[in-house]
Amino acid sequence: MKVLGKEESLPDPKIPDRDSDVRNAIYAHLVDTSAAPSVADLEVRLGMSGAEIRAAYQRLYSRRVLVLGSDGETIVMAPPFAGIPTQHRVAVGAREYFANCAWDAFGIPAALHAPGIVRSRCEQSREPLTVLIDQDGPAPEPCVAHFAVPAALWWQDIGFT
Amino acid sequence: MLFFRSGERVAEWCWDHGIPRRPLIALPQLWRLAVAWYGNRLTPEARRPAPAEMVGIFRRIGLEGPFWDPQADTFP
Repeated sequence: MKVLGKEESLPDPKIPDRDSDVRNAIYAHLVDTSAAPSVADLEVRLGMSGAEIRAAYQRLYSRRVLVLGSDGETIVMAPPFAGIPTQHRVAVGAREYFANCAWDAFGIPAALHAPGIVRSRCEQSREPLTVLIDQDGPAPEPCVAHFAVPAALWWQDIGFT
Repeated sequence: MLFFRSGERVAEWCWDHGIPRRPLIALPQLWRLAVAWYGNRLTPEARRPAPAEMVGIFRRIGLEGPFWDPQADTFP
């Protein structure tokens, strides 16, 4: 995959319909199962071929909607959800999701419009951190988030960001 | 974008990794950022904000300056 640079204004911000179908199916699968779908899952769900789905993945990556693994079909990130295990776990209802980062850990309850419990760690001391989130936001907890990468560089190495 | 128990732990981590210390976000502000950024993410018509919209989102929750400009060339 090509490395993406600074954010750019897209000539057509609306995602084309078929790619939007793929995007929405990915999110629906993630919400319902806590796991990213495989290409085979989406073939069944959308009636598209694997090649069509992989091509849509690449276009969605170019729009910064997805982050893919080196195989071009493993969904590593569909923000705020992580498609692979991370240190940020977010319980919402009966489900537990992985998040990509501190921001996304809060983003999952925000996206689902539901209370949640964020379980992560202090990156320096490695001690566990738990943050309760309800409709008013996070309960007080001695904890901060550090943004190490400027916004213009987020997508140069989105995994590190 | 990582969690830390305190600013002191952030400073230690930055020193250990040779990374400049950058903005610290308190949890209430992080929540506002999450709601602004992800609140409509699951709607079918959701799209990534354009760069100018991003700057506006960040500014509304008190995050301003080149660090928060997705098209900036230099950073403090």
